Amino acid sequence: MKLRIAVAVLVIALAPLLLQTPYWRGILIVCAMNVLLALSLNLVIGYTGQLNLGQSAFFAIGAYVSTILTKTYGWNFWLAVPVAIAAAGVLGLALAAFAVRLRGHYLAIASLGFAVITYQVLINWERVTEGVRGIYGILPPPGFRDQLALFYLVAGIALVVYLVLGNLVRSPIGETLRAIREDEVSAASLGINAARWKAFAFGVGAAIAGLAGCFYPGFVGTLVPEAFNIVESFTMMAMVIVGGMGTMIGPVIGAVVLTFLPELLRSVGELRLLVYGVALTLVVLFMPGGLVQIGAALRRKPA
Amino acid sequence: MKRTFRFFAVAAACAIAPLHVTAQDKVIRVGVLMPISGPASYFGVMGKEGIDLALEQLKAGVNGYRLQVQYEDSACSPLQATNTVKRVLEQFKPHVVIGEECSDASLAIAPILDQAKVPMLNAGSVTMKLTESGYKYVFRIFPNAEQQSIPLAKNAYDKLNARTAVILYEKTNAGNDNAEGFEKLFIAAGGKVLAKIDFGRDVNDFTPIATRIASLGKVDVLPTFALEGQQVRLAQALAQAKVVRGGGGNAIQMGSIWLPYGFDQKAGQAAEGYIRIVQFDPTEKRKAVQDFVAAFRAKYGADKVPTHINAHAYDAVMLVAEAVRRGATDQESIRDRFSKMKDVEVTTGRITFDPKGQNSDLSVIHFVETQKDLSWKGLSW
Amino acid sequence: MTDIAALVAQQAINGLYLGCLYVMVALGLTLIYGVLNQINFAHADFVTVGAFAAFFVATRFATKALGLADTTGYLVSIVVAFGVGAILGALVNAAVFAPLRERGDELRPLIATIGVSVLLENGQLALFGPIPYQFDSPFTRETIRIGRIFFTQQSVVVVLVAAVSVAALYAFLRLTFLGKALRAVSQDRETAGLMGINPSLLIALTIVISSALAGMAGALLGPVLVLTPFAGASVIVKAFAIVIIGGFGNLEGTILAGILVGVIEAFTVQYLGSGVIDLVVFVLLLVMLAIRPTGLVAERKEENV
Repeated sequence: MKLRIAVAVLVIALAPLLLQTPYWRGILIVCAMNVLLALSLNLVIGYTGQLNLGQSAFFAIGAYVSTILTKTYGWNFWLAVPVAIAAAGVLGLALAAFAVRLRGHYLAIASLGFAVITYQVLINWERVTEGVRGIYGILPPPGFRDQLALFYLVAGIALVVYLVLGNLVRSPIGETLRAIREDEVSAASLGINAARWKAFAFGVGAAIAGLAGCFYPGFVGTLVPEAFNIVESFTMMAMVIVGGMGTMIGPVIGAVVLTFLPELLRSVGELRLLVYGVALTLVVLFMPGGLVQIGAALRRKPA
Repeated sequence: MKRTFRFFAVAAACAIAPLHVTAQDKVIRVGVLMPISGPASYFGVMGKEGIDLALEQLKAGVNGYRLQVQYEDSACSPLQATNTVKRVLEQFKPHVVIGEECSDASLAIAPILDQAKVPMLNAGSVTMKLTESGYKYVFRIFPNAEQQSIPLAKNAYDKLNARTAVILYEKTNAGNDNAEGFEKLFIAAGGKVLAKIDFGRDVNDFTPIATRIASLGKVDVLPTFALEGQQVRLAQALAQAKVVRGGGGNAIQMGSIWLPYGFDQKAGQAAEGYIRIVQFDPTEKRKAVQDFVAAFRAKYGADKVPTHINAHAYDAVMLVAEAVRRGATDQESIRDRFSKMKDVEVTTGRITFDPKGQNSDLSVIHFVETQKDLSWKGLSW
Repeated sequence: MTDIAALVAQQAINGLYLGCLYVMVALGLTLIYGVLNQINFAHADFVTVGAFAAFFVATRFATKALGLADTTGYLVSIVVAFGVGAILGALVNAAVFAPLRERGDELRPLIATIGVSVLLENGQLALFGPIPYQFDSPFTRETIRIGRIFFTQQSVVVVLVAAVSVAALYAFLRLTFLGKALRAVSQDRETAGLMGINPSLLIALTIVISSALAGMAGALLGPVLVLTPFAGASVIVKAFAIVIIGGFGNLEGTILAGILVGVIEAFTVQYLGSGVIDLVVFVLLLVMLAIRPTGLVAERKEENV
């Protein structure tokens, strides 16, 4: 475990030194954000077994709340972030209210509905969000205007979240969540209050996604609702599944692979997304445990 | 003997090599950011056709310089546009960048290119902000929202005597800007906007909207800002609801340059009486236009008629070539030549960039009215 | 007829027509879910494929090559789209659904269908390009007027085909042996297997029927939609909402919900504005899920412990 952390710190420290150009460092920042998103979704889908297709809503809330507070109301960025996280978390709890009563695919579509509603509100509530016109000239957090610094910030936060979540899933809380995932009825018979823990998972997952959202507008510079349409939810889910659902390192791997793969495929040109779709389908078909399976299989090989 | 031979071979190689290197050096690199994937590839595919045609015609080079193009897929999204513009800046080091089509993406890359001091030539975005933000390196040959809407509003009020309007627009940055441009001027002139109806790009059936319009009372004009696919369905629904001339009603549909030639044939009788401003008219007798249409057909098929998207992209490359012809060899000199351009003729008209980088020559833009036989009649407004 | 009455009647008819379109798309979805407990995100793309198939048959093949009349050509294209959908369904089932079936979880087949959806969309994009095709059936051009109410012949065709499909499906499920076997499999796969019914075959049959329905929906929708490879995406999310509002796997509920959503959409456009259609429909969805999660026409399904 300690070794893993050391490796992670090393990778994070060295990556931007190996990839020095603004383009690749930009991709690294996007990768760090995707890691955060994948980790957040994994908590809900992987560890608690709740089918959540609406994670993009929380990402959007984080982005919009933090941007509106800093740009329209002149708040300090570091004060806006906790508010944005809280807003996302509250919305997560609202979705959890549905999760309590719904199972499986009903919950999936309800969460999808959540994401669509959030997206539509962002588009239509023009007085506050500027709607499709978009918000422009958004700067990265003060003190982190440089790309290198921004990367270390986001990657550092991702690492901290990884460690915290790692401890969480190894604790009794994690066992509770897993019990709910495996068999909710039996869990109830053991005295577990499924409602409370589902709310917990959704809330924390939403909050982390909101946290990732705080850094997104500063990186791109412009904020439009289109960036949060429901296709983004599917991409996040793909990262979790392709990497390996229900493990800690899986989402990280999935996020890294699915961030870099489309960029590396750019030279393929027009067939890029087609290749992407094929790759996704193949992984899901033949590697149900995700890419993490490869690592596990290698480790099982006799020395 | 062998030694002598080798000496001469090496000497010959050294003599040729510098020539080869010089030929490679004289390249003007043009980065192109277009939506190549996703629904917005509607623009990218047509843009690429125009650019490829221009490159083919410029194969022999300009002033000894060869034009080299690299396409990047910016997918109409600010995030992708930001990433790809950085990528193209580092890997390709372009002297000029043509892009993007969607307003959101264009606004995202403008500050980056401005800061990198690489001239940006925009041939497809409508948003006013692109040329109102003080960028020194951004040029646009596409008419902006005001240039498109103001003539519509003015002439609706003056020439058509319209006093009531219902504005229909797609829910995007471009649609918004155009709708607002029309609304402001129409109301200022004394007209009344009965309703501003927006719709997403995923709306297919416009019968409910047409029914609603029919219930609003006397409507004189219906300025519409949407892409051709939706406009065809909209026009047909409006005709069925007997709102517009083409269906037996009284309202006149008005549109801007969004609609390509051929729209009327697709919409059928519903398009009768449609009044719009066009910039690229494939039937225009001007030599530049006819040559372009002929070359386009020769390359892409005799039954294909170029659209304004093809034409604007083609013009963008031709303008770069013109700058090179006038002595430009790098970013700064290209920028300089652009800013000095006056009355440069292209297929979509004439180019004179104002100090903000916007083409201010609208002499080619004219009004047409769709006749009963679906042909265009030019209006001298 | 007073103004208001005519307006309300017209929007109601618009809504009915829209609703039938949605029902055609949702029918196949709810069938797959009812029998397989599986969401198929690629369903919309089956609809698009059906629409393109119908387009090429109706406008190029039937009329030009075979010299058929416009109307016959279009009706032929509907049948062809049905067949194309069936074949596509069989292929996707064999390649994607069947291998994932044994694993029994809900998420991976979902992601696989998303992958198939991306594949189909981009494959069609590569084949057909992004520029909309003009698909006008001979029926869309003819308007029928009754007093101040109007609708096109196409809407009549859509409503008729929708009604016939629903009736046929209903009859199939209730009256034929195969249909009853399908319902048995949906209620209890193991026991059905024990009774000599081959579940895999039936499941394949379900997917084929569902996809065929999707293809046919495409043929009906083609003249209404803006026909691009992304056409399906514009209706799929609403189709899912309808399936849930009506109750997953519930035929009557889906029909009711589809028509309800269509009518709500028409009246939302009239009184609230077309920009908020999705908002209204999905708020309705969440409200339904909050107060009546099993759907409009509830079918009590017990969860086996």
